[in-house]
Amino acid sequence: MNRSSGFRNKLIYLMVMIAMLIPLYLLGQPAGGSSGDGGGQLTQMRTKYNIAESELGDINPASETMKLASLGLRGVAATLLWSKANEYKVNHEWDRLKATLNNIALLQPHYEKVWEFQAHNLSYNVSAEFDDYRQRYSMVREGIEYLTRGVEQNRKASRLVWYTGWFYGQKIGMSDEKRQFRKLFSDDKPQHEELRESNIAVDSPDARGPDGKPDNWLVGRQWLLYGYNLVDSGVKIRNQTPINYYQTGPKWRIKHAEAIESEGVLDDRAKSAWQQAADDWQSFGQRSVPTTSPFTIKLGSILELDQQRQALTKQLMDLAGETYRAEEKLLRDGLNDQEREALAIPPEERTQEQGMLAMQLEVRLKPMWSRVARKAPENVRLRAIQLAGEMADVEARYQKTDSYRGQVNYEYWQTLCTAEQEDRTVEARRLLFDAEKANADADIDQAIQKYEQAFAMWAEIIDDFPVLLQDELSDDLMRSINRYKVAIDREDFDDDFPLHPFIEVMLSEKKTSEEYRRLRQLQKEGKLERRATPTENAVEPTSSELGDKPNGPEKAADDPLPTDGTGGEPSAGDKPAPEGDVEATTSERTPMPQG
Amino acid sequence: MTLQPDDFWSFSEWLLRPESFLESALLQGVVLLAFATLVGLLVAYLVSAVRYGPSEGFYAVARGVRDLFRDDLPGTSPRRIFALARLAYKEAIRRKVLVVVALFLVGLLFAGWYLDPRSSDPARLYISFVLTSTNYLILLLALFISAFSLPADIKNRTIYTIVTKPVRATEIVLGRMLGFVGVGTLMLVPMGLASYFFVVRGLRHTHEVVDIKELGDGRFSGKLSYDQFHEHTFTLEATGDTDGSVLEGVTDYVRGHRHIVRKVGDRYVIGEPTGALRARVPSYGELSFTDRSGNLDVKGIDIGAEKGRGDYGSAGIARLVGVSREARRMEFGYVEGGTLGSAIYGFKDVTPQRYPDADGIPMEMALRAFRTIKGNIVSGLSGSITMRNPDNPKIESTPINFVVQEYDVSEERLPRQIEGTDGDQIRTLDLFQDLVTPDGRLDVIIRCIDRQQYLGATSSSVYLRPAESSFAWNLFKSYFSIWLQMVMVIAFGVMFSTFLSGPVAMVATFVCVLLGFTAERIYDIRYYLDKGEAMGGGPIESLVRLVRQDSMTTDLDVDAIAAKLIKGVDSVLVYTLDVIATSLPNLPKMLSTAEYAASGFDIFGSLLARHAVATAGYVIAAFLIGYFFLKTREIAA
Repeated sequence: MNRSSGFRNKLIYLMVMIAMLIPLYLLGQPAGGSSGDGGGQLTQMRTKYNIAESELGDINPASETMKLASLGLRGVAATLLWSKANEYKVNHEWDRLKATLNNIALLQPHYEKVWEFQAHNLSYNVSAEFDDYRQRYSMVREGIEYLTRGVEQNRKASRLVWYTGWFYGQKIGMSDEKRQFRKLFSDDKPQHEELRESNIAVDSPDARGPDGKPDNWLVGRQWLLYGYNLVDSGVKIRNQTPINYYQTGPKWRIKHAEAIESEGVLDDRAKSAWQQAADDWQSFGQRSVPTTSPFTIKLGSILELDQQRQALTKQLMDLAGETYRAEEKLLRDGLNDQEREALAIPPEERTQEQGMLAMQLEVRLKPMWSRVARKAPENVRLRAIQLAGEMADVEARYQKTDSYRGQVNYEYWQTLCTAEQEDRTVEARRLLFDAEKANADADIDQAIQKYEQAFAMWAEIIDDFPVLLQDELSDDLMRSINRYKVAIDREDFDDDFPLHPFIEVMLSEKKTSEEYRRLRQLQKEGKLERRATPTENAVEPTSSELGDKPNGPEKAADDPLPTDGTGGEPSAGDKPAPEGDVEATTSERTPMPQG
Repeated sequence: MTLQPDDFWSFSEWLLRPESFLESALLQGVVLLAFATLVGLLVAYLVSAVRYGPSEGFYAVARGVRDLFRDDLPGTSPRRIFALARLAYKEAIRRKVLVVVALFLVGLLFAGWYLDPRSSDPARLYISFVLTSTNYLILLLALFISAFSLPADIKNRTIYTIVTKPVRATEIVLGRMLGFVGVGTLMLVPMGLASYFFVVRGLRHTHEVVDIKELGDGRFSGKLSYDQFHEHTFTLEATGDTDGSVLEGVTDYVRGHRHIVRKVGDRYVIGEPTGALRARVPSYGELSFTDRSGNLDVKGIDIGAEKGRGDYGSAGIARLVGVSREARRMEFGYVEGGTLGSAIYGFKDVTPQRYPDADGIPMEMALRAFRTIKGNIVSGLSGSITMRNPDNPKIESTPINFVVQEYDVSEERLPRQIEGTDGDQIRTLDLFQDLVTPDGRLDVIIRCIDRQQYLGATSSSVYLRPAESSFAWNLFKSYFSIWLQMVMVIAFGVMFSTFLSGPVAMVATFVCVLLGFTAERIYDIRYYLDKGEAMGGGPIESLVRLVRQDSMTTDLDVDAIAAKLIKGVDSVLVYTLDVIATSLPNLPKMLSTAEYAASGFDIFGSLLARHAVATAGYVIAAFLIGYFFLKTREIAA
């Protein structure tokens, strides 16, 4: 190799380098200050899709440094960190786990699932490993703080905001240690300070509980409201169904009302909490919720839709009633013998198979208005087809609304709020609470008196709102009845015992409102049979039913009845908590499925 | 900090392993050396045979060996070694390696961004951060300086000027090693000092008194302000000075430390945090369990917690040849509450001289709790401590109750005088007279009181604390361990640089270090390979699984011949890697001395002795190999 070829090679290299710099410059130039200078291609794309760092959330210099320091091996570094985090978790090295999670968050700040997963890991899995409830609470709080940092760095992550609200409510308010956690949260001043810094109105009356201190449910609701504002301003809801997203805010108010009542606040404050819950739920019913169909629905507008449906049906019948009946007859004639037989038998005597067949048939035997309209007389056919089209639309909306209402159990919660707001319900709860307290204090006479007053009131309330049969109230009531039986030292009741039909329904297979009404009717007619109900283990009322005693130690929860959540810990699995109805997790107020 | 079985061995136990000599370190070292020698001689013969022909080659090798023992070793002069060391030292300094110290200091400055200020034990976090970062930096440094020097000399042909001095090959190799060790030590010193001050300063903080109320009888109680993400409560008592204006007290332990509070007149003086940086000297006992009917059991109940992997390495050669297979990892054994189940610790050397404190023997516990029912949420799990005479089980003290504090070391005292039973009598027992045997043994029994709950214990959970060492000395010992690692890496670097070029030598040394760190994983893969259980398999199988996105534990889903081929190749690869990994130093073990310092335990002398002996062994091996390679290269003939 001679000198000139060496020099020539160097020139060629230089040329190639300059040639490569040009596209690099065009692509990577940052945006200039003036409005006309949008910057290179990449910058323009970032602005167009709103994924520039500054748009996503707070810029964190530590995060940027770490990402640069990984020298292109960010993925490898993140994988190693995840594997290390798991190792620390297995070895119970919590400090190092937290430190590693912080570092993971620095490397992957915009990957939402990372924040969700690890926050859930801290609050649900790691917290359960501690024995001391204060340490558990601090771990739950760590998880929540982790999530809050995630929100700061991902301002458009609607799911993270929702998840934060979810944690405040579900983890603090529905764990086995909920009594303790709620108290710790309301006294946790540093945490309140953090919330203020995140622009959550911790000091507003909307976030304060009956004792004037922030309440975890209401604070969670504030977070959810923040999320709703975010969505209203145009951010999409991702990784979640809208109905589930929107129902949690009002639900948290309901949960708050339930919580304060179970803690012994049974006065106007409880009543107003229920009223606010009812208002919230009502507003939720008025919200336009996107669905999987191309239209939006409002959960509260089912009556209107039904009215529209009926009006259209009347109009159609007026126009093409004959055709309708003819079509009906045609369909009926097309049945085979087995089907005819199934329909002929009255409903109570059908076998399961026949019952199902009958249901299917009833649907099939209804003529479709679109067909009827096409067969209508010439002069009304056009109008009939138009109306049939409208009918189909309204029908679709009705079905959707009905189905979504079923998903969130809309009617049940609506009725519950209405029932619970009433003065007499609060009074009945108070009477029961006092009765339990008197019973626990061994003041039998007082207890019996209060019990009887309470039961009379409850009978009235259940009469008006049989939906309460499905509430957790019914289990509480059964337990109280058993304690009452022990107090009066009897195995059975008089015929006119007000809650007799209630007991019958609870012990029977069908716990439905219809069954209750039937039994109530029988009692009024004096025909209700007395059934000697076995006394279940009459135990001391659990601390959950007595409410929070200010500084006393909690009674040992020895209650063998399973619904107190004395069993295993909630969601100790390694997956994030299932979204969907709050009722899906271990909770004290699990409504039974509507019969 | 949970110790594994091999952490408890004394030096001679580690070296000789009386009951299982196959696992001993001595055997491993001897086998390694013998193996290396054999392989070395074989390779040397082959190379010489190629160069000179078969019989000439043999004589060349023989001559080389003879030269080593006849000329070079006896003729090695310390003066020349020292001169070469100085040369290497100057060269390294000239290459601006001191910038590593600057890097370290910069790292310390920015550490605050990455260290969690809210951790519940900041001392542990700070110390382990400082030690780990020092360790890695020093290893990197050792890698760089040791690998480039000799090849640079050889390339620039300056080696001839040295070799013709005359300087023996032994002196060249030793001199270089010594020089670089000197540079490394020079840098380790300021790094160590900087770390110490970083930790002490980082933990330093103070509070203010926020709340104070009088308890009557001259005592006060109060609260300190919320600083550094925590707060304290404290009590004050009169000190007994003349005018009673000075009161003194301590705060509670929060985040591993507490403060001394003094009230002088109207002013409050809050002291520095104490108790966060310590070095306990523990005395461990033998752990055995009894099951719920009172029968002796080796392990406690397994509650099904996820187990960590690893810890095969302590089995030495026995594992390599397949005699011992299982991992030696010690997990927590649990004791069932409300039954006859218990954990029994048999302590030795319990003498009044060792434990002179009149209040009793300090005992510390780090137990775990497991609940099967929620029980009483507000209070912790309760357990009891009973002392018993190992030779005469009828002599037993009444139980001392305690509440389990998880993830915190709780301190108890075994009192000198305690009520107890002696057969049928109930009387006051004296600890050293009645409960401790004449040869100094004592049984301490831990039971769980709450029914349906479990207490977890492991061999290192409960220990007596005869003494306390100083934190600074402990930190120094961990730096000594880092120094040993550095020496080893330098030795390897110099050895590789005698026959490889600079960058390649560096990579080779780096690979050795990496293999040292991943040795346990390789042992784990080999374990499952031997067992025949699917757990990801060797390199080729893992690659296939990765690409196909199969899980680790399902059977390999390829056709039979391909599977056989893959598994065959993998076995060869894994066994080879296993042999290499076993021969290489166990660096994670050496790194774990940082764990002792961070958790506040004194680093055992025997631990350091083990590391020192292992390092010495590897240095000697590296030296010999380096010597031979240098000698056989034409430049040093």
